[in-house]
Amino acid sequence: MSKFQTSIHEYLETLPLQTFNRLYQKPATCLAIFRLLPPLGKQIIMSSLYVDTPIPVDDMKLWFKGKTGLAKHKEAMKRLQALHIFSEERGNYTMNTIFVEQFRNALTGGGNSQSFGLATSTPDKHHVDVAFLDDYATKQWEAILHFMVGTTEGRPPCKGVLNLLGRSGLMTGGPDTIPQSDNMDARDYASQMARHDFGVPKITRKGFQFLLQDINTQVWAFLLQYLNMAESLNMDLVEVLTFFFQLGSLELGNDYSSETLTPTQTHLLEDLKAYGIVYQRKRGSRRFYPTRLATTLTSGTPVMLGSHTNAAKHSAAASRKTEEEEEDDHGFIIMETNYRMYAYTVVDQIRLWEIEKNRLRPTATWLYSQFNRQQDFDGTLEYASELGVVLWSNPKKRQMCIKTEGHQAVGNYIRKMILRNKEQAQQHRQQHVASVGT
Amino acid sequence: MVKAVKGVVVECDPSVKQIILGLNERGQFIIEDLDDTHVFVDASCIEQLRVDIDEILNENTYNVEEPK
Repeated sequence: MSKFQTSIHEYLETLPLQTFNRLYQKPATCLAIFRLLPPLGKQIIMSSLYVDTPIPVDDMKLWFKGKTGLAKHKEAMKRLQALHIFSEERGNYTMNTIFVEQFRNALTGGGNSQSFGLATSTPDKHHVDVAFLDDYATKQWEAILHFMVGTTEGRPPCKGVLNLLGRSGLMTGGPDTIPQSDNMDARDYASQMARHDFGVPKITRKGFQFLLQDINTQVWAFLLQYLNMAESLNMDLVEVLTFFFQLGSLELGNDYSSETLTPTQTHLLEDLKAYGIVYQRKRGSRRFYPTRLATTLTSGTPVMLGSHTNAAKHSAAASRKTEEEEEDDHGFIIMETNYRMYAYTVVDQIRLWEIEKNRLRPTATWLYSQFNRQQDFDGTLEYASELGVVLWSNPKKRQMCIKTEGHQAVGNYIRKMILRNKEQAQQHRQQHVASVGT
Repeated sequence: MVKAVKGVVVECDPSVKQIILGLNERGQFIIEDLDDTHVFVDASCIEQLRVDIDEILNENTYNVEEPK
């Protein structure tokens, strides 16, 4: 599954400092990126946010206990540095000043509040409720998934969706009809597709893997693909990302003004409607509603879209529910006559098969063995663990596998250790000789 | 005297590990048998090892026959 880049983290970590500095100018973005971090990362940020001087690396290490604690600290800081929230210089950790300022604003409600979306001031004549939005989001998203497995009930998804499906390699219009080229401009590709009228699109291997992901991962995968496309369409990446993160901070069931959006973001809104991420009654309407797909983007919790709507349906129609309908709610398996089975609601089992297929996990390494003394082995292991380069170890057999990047450092450590041992032995012998002599 | 050898550490299920041990009897590529789920092997054997293991495990999988 490694080919399938779905993580927003991986994507963010490829961006340069300048992009981050522009992103962090919006409090909503700071909060969203914070919410995407693992608990330890959040803890470190919260502990440092109101410290106005750089924090010495050694001081921060005191917050952590033992070897495992320090290893976790190292990992967390690596992540925070990749996101340019912290930088390390001359033994001090310094926080990104723009991030600090805007994240404080996010927490205290200061600064430019529009980054969290501008709630409309007048009530909506055509107000819609949460159940409606869930239903809408489910329908739109399921329509895309149904289209991918070839069981479209209504009309096929709009061109924007088809384009994205084709461009991301989730579907093809047959191997020969559309040449797949990585360096092709999005515009070229779109016109190619229009010319071929997309033929009969077929799901690809990657598309199958996509179906096996949970819905949050799927949505992000779509959005990441969109970002890649945005770059080649000369859309401003920061505006697109800012809008994604803003969506994540909106409140489900509220409507927001679309009048403060930039032209790029207005264009974006159109596309996101097609995925069911936002709802807008009609094109050009002055307000829009985020759906659950949007508001859970940065929460890190599973979307549970299906189960929520099911629950709503249950309560609304409990009395007239037949067994058949109940079956319907629990998902389905589609069988095709070529004996392939398509399913996207029994995800866990299928994921297990996928893992099973990936049976060997090889890593290049150096195997260290034949340590003369246990204390030599233990010392080396401790040193290597601190560097984070131990892949496997067995103290009884006095063997350890060291990552290739740690080989030089560990090798030097051992050479010094052996030299020291020799010197000590020699001193010991001389003392012995001296004492015998007298 | 400490010794360092370059190679590849392979992590796998115990069942797959047994298959690897079996394959090793044909051509010796294991440098050190580490434990139930780890084995240290010569780097050049990895690709062949993947192919061999897939082949063996697929033999044990039920396949629907192609209609004739």
